[in-house]
Amino acid sequence: MKSIFTSTLAIAALTGTTALAHYGMIIPNDPMISQEDGRSVQLTMSFSHPFELNGMVLDAPVSFSVTHDGETTDLLGDLVGAEVMGQPGFTLDYPLARPGTYVFAMEPQPYWEPAEDSYIIHYTKTYVSAFDDDEGWDTELGLRTEIVPLSKPFGLWEGNVFQGIVMLEGEPVPYAEVEVEYYNEDLEATVPSELMITQTVKADENGVFTYATPTDGWWGFAALNTAPETLAFEGVEKAVELGAVIWVRFEEWDD
Amino acid sequence: MRRLLAILAVVAFASAAQAHQLNVFAFVEDGTVIVETKFSTGKIPVSGEVQVLNASSEVILTLPLAADGTVRFPLDVEAATGGMMIEVTTGEGHSDYWILTPEDIANGSGS
Repeated sequence: MKSIFTSTLAIAALTGTTALAHYGMIIPNDPMISQEDGRSVQLTMSFSHPFELNGMVLDAPVSFSVTHDGETTDLLGDLVGAEVMGQPGFTLDYPLARPGTYVFAMEPQPYWEPAEDSYIIHYTKTYVSAFDDDEGWDTELGLRTEIVPLSKPFGLWEGNVFQGIVMLEGEPVPYAEVEVEYYNEDLEATVPSELMITQTVKADENGVFTYATPTDGWWGFAALNTAPETLAFEGVEKAVELGAVIWVRFEEWDD
Repeated sequence: MRRLLAILAVVAFASAAQAHQLNVFAFVEDGTVIVETKFSTGKIPVSGEVQVLNASSEVILTLPLAADGTVRFPLDVEAATGGMMIEVTTGEGHSDYWILTPEDIANGSGS
């Protein structure tokens, strides 16, 4: 399936920045850590346009945590500065003490985006299964905005659908708009139209959205809403975009 | 240890295809080995057999699983040199294992 992408014209490289979607990113080295893989997971945090591998500055987050078995632990002080996609980001080597699902979540500082004349805050998370135990895969963290998975957010095959509920301030968001983008890690994927870099779906009346991925790899889902409050930029109040971002990896179907 | 891992790969294949997979986890705390088991459904097996193998794949201990799906036994540091495999069988073909590596043992042995 990936060959379909690679055989199309490399228009992506020629496009401007207007169509690009922003994504907070938390990418583990593996979303399913078995006992043979070791006793820790390596995470890379960034802020980017993931299809173009166009990095942006990720300042020290407001919070970074892990939730496992109902307990949330602050990991902000454990982040290590790193360059990701040519820009400042962070890494973390986190020891996995017990089986189950670990949910890593980040609230970044508001990012001023002059092209959109607004601030962006992407509440970003990803789910990691430890030692073949998936308990907790549907954990809702209670973030200000988040996508609560209805599909197990790891161990999915390429082509599977991913379903989630868009939540804002603890309530589902009817007809929420969800942007979907592929983490084009090796820049092999190209598109025939810039309209296809960021796919867009809408949730139903219950805030439930569905998307089927065309290929394996990491896919980011970002549900976007506007905060009721504003933030000042150079003395002028500006809108704040709230993003609920979840990163999900789909595995290659190898028959 | 490599030989142990090779044997374990066969065991893993045998158990991975089951719908209600058994999951085994073990750790060392203050010189005691603690084994925990549960099915992928979240249910706890109420009976089963636990075999402890050394790095030479020799069975060094056989114990019944307690009704709460756990078993505990004192760490034999000498027998655990090179690591241990904890294999649990609950019947009807449900089995799984956990490898206690030398690092796992050192981290929890209290030494």
